[in-house]
Amino acid sequence: MKLFQGGEIASEDSPFLQSADVLVEDGQIKRVGAGLEIPDGAEVIDCSGCVLMPAMFDVHVHAREPGQEHKETIKTCSEAAINGGITGIVLMPNTVPAIDSGGLVQTVLDIVAEKSRIQVLQTGCLTKGRAGEELAAIAGMAAKGVPMLTDDGSPVVDPRLLRRAMEYAKDFGLPCASHCEVPTLSGKGAINEGPVSYRLGLPGIPAISEEICLDRDIRIAQYTGAHVHIQHVTTSRGLDTIRRAKEDGVRVTCEVSPHHLIFNEEHIVDYDANFKMNPPLRTAEDNERLLQGLIDGVCDVIATDHAPHTIFEKQNNEFAGAPFGITGLETAVVSLYHHFIRSDRFGWDLLVRRYSAEPRRLLGLEPVPVAEGAKAEFLVFSTEKTTTYSREFMRSKSANTPFIDQTLNGQIVGVVRSGEMLLQR
Amino acid sequence: MSDDNRIPSRKDLLDIASLSVAEIEHLLKIAGPFKDLFKRSVKKVPALRGKTVLNLFYEPSTRTSSSFEVAANRLSADVTNFTVSQSSVVKGESIIDTIDTLQAMRTDYIVIRHSAAGIPNLIAKNTRASVINAGDGFHAHPTQALLDMFTIREVFPESAGKKVLIVGDILHSRVARSTSTILNKLGVNVGVLGPTSLVPSGRHEFMQGFRDWDEALAWKPDIIYLLRVQLERQGEPFFPSLGEYHRVYGLTTKRYQRIRDEGLYLMHPGPVNRGVEIDNEAMNYERSLINQQVENGIAVRMAVLYWLKPATGNEKS
Repeated sequence: MKLFQGGEIASEDSPFLQSADVLVEDGQIKRVGAGLEIPDGAEVIDCSGCVLMPAMFDVHVHAREPGQEHKETIKTCSEAAINGGITGIVLMPNTVPAIDSGGLVQTVLDIVAEKSRIQVLQTGCLTKGRAGEELAAIAGMAAKGVPMLTDDGSPVVDPRLLRRAMEYAKDFGLPCASHCEVPTLSGKGAINEGPVSYRLGLPGIPAISEEICLDRDIRIAQYTGAHVHIQHVTTSRGLDTIRRAKEDGVRVTCEVSPHHLIFNEEHIVDYDANFKMNPPLRTAEDNERLLQGLIDGVCDVIATDHAPHTIFEKQNNEFAGAPFGITGLETAVVSLYHHFIRSDRFGWDLLVRRYSAEPRRLLGLEPVPVAEGAKAEFLVFSTEKTTTYSREFMRSKSANTPFIDQTLNGQIVGVVRSGEMLLQR
Repeated sequence: MSDDNRIPSRKDLLDIASLSVAEIEHLLKIAGPFKDLFKRSVKKVPALRGKTVLNLFYEPSTRTSSSFEVAANRLSADVTNFTVSQSSVVKGESIIDTIDTLQAMRTDYIVIRHSAAGIPNLIAKNTRASVINAGDGFHAHPTQALLDMFTIREVFPESAGKKVLIVGDILHSRVARSTSTILNKLGVNVGVLGPTSLVPSGRHEFMQGFRDWDEALAWKPDIIYLLRVQLERQGEPFFPSLGEYHRVYGLTTKRYQRIRDEGLYLMHPGPVNRGVEIDNEAMNYERSLINQQVENGIAVRMAVLYWLKPATGNEKS
């Protein structure tokens, strides 16, 4: 029995915090209320100066296992998630080999059962080997419980194949997630095409590369009646397309990453590849429009696209040759607090709705509110403390984040799941 | 040699954008006496005696490499040329590994040319030697910009307010980026002409764009700066053919005659593609500054080597 005393509770239903103690017993929240009596034998956890909120859930994570365990493993990825207040992650299938059969899904789930302390779901490929040539073994993966299908990392280039994949996936009730990009338009591009790519002399990735594919995939979803989930949307025009499609009744959802809300191309200085990801950082105007989209609900969920790479790969060579991607699990909640909640750009309810409740609903899971009778799955967040993202702080194998060595306001001081303290600082 | 003590040295020269106007003026000023030296029978000064300069070229460039070599020799430095054929670089060995090796050679100056933007920045962060960017990808070529400015000052001592029209591949040109930046910093107006596919909308905002030669010449430029059209980009569809490029954007005989009649100066960073961006006849133009640019390149590079201050020799034992 644990009593979380003196904190304030955040929920998706109200921007206001509610002062209350929380009593946890047998993995359940038994009572929520002000000034609860301390039951006999209960461990008291002082939560003054802290916000208790539902634990986060990230639908876009690269754990790199199997095949690239020098970057990350399912174990280190899970621990990184806990360090960031996240108790559920959805793994992308672009591992080596790519997860394109029920057998490979089972391999991952076996590792998860042994190595992870959180909920881990594995997605499956749309096409065999992510090669974009023939359909992957979708029924077998569905039987193993994949919640979503995607060739993430690249688009399905052939529209005919994508059409058939969406039709087929629909029969299994599986959403298709799209990494939107026209490969020939992106070419060898390294960052957003515009004044910054010109100034730095780097090949650019034009916004239309993302937008044209996004338009196409939504049209195919509309035509087939399938559910398409647009991954990491970054451009204002792409967001407008999604908004219109939703108004037209298309089954489309989308995600936005913390880094595309916080950073833009102007932040890329001195060829720091920790600002290199795909899709790339866009413009300051896109930051604002994505934030607005998140506030008015066009963006369904926040997801990090956690993409670990080693220092050797990221920092020891030319920018254009460095792999795309940055880590995000350990920095998401604190950076969103630091940049947006602290300055009242949005409330706690938005964070809870878009990074905890809606991601779970997207995959058919129950949200985990901090409420009587619910599962005890929440995080304790200190608004008084700060977090310094040193290499030592990170539990991920990699530290390729723009926040490296930065100090941000806020600190995750506790993470609870099934009544257990997964993290206590 | 007079030196202005109010302009502190830098460790590296990576681009023009990070130089102040005062620093640029200082470099142009000290390049002058170095050029005067060339007319003497002894062209050498002992300024960098005992120092070592490493020419690290990952991209072949006889001109720039030789220019730096001559500049370093005339300052009495010891020069090592290290040309790395890209294809022979062992896959997996990073630039950082190479730099660690070079660091052990205790070189004082590294002159680096590389096909990837940002490599000089990476090296500069990881070595005590002074790093001079001799061209990195499409990014920067600061000594070219300095020699261009020096050359322009020779014909127009009051350069502010003059107009330079840059013609050609603005998108893939580090010369266009660096030279236009130095011109803009010193108050020279910059116009650009080329196919839209090679003149990106994200270019420096001070680069005024023109539709065609007639419109560009109506702007009354003082100098026409032709860029090399990169033949090796023909695999990508930026324009249909070199012949068509020449007809529409090249300095044809007819356009050359007009430029000659108006007495405009002509510049080019070299090497020239005769018959593509420029006609044969125009190569002998008396107001062509192309050879002057080459000579000034040595003086300017001497000034840069002389001004930079490596962090070598500061090591704790």
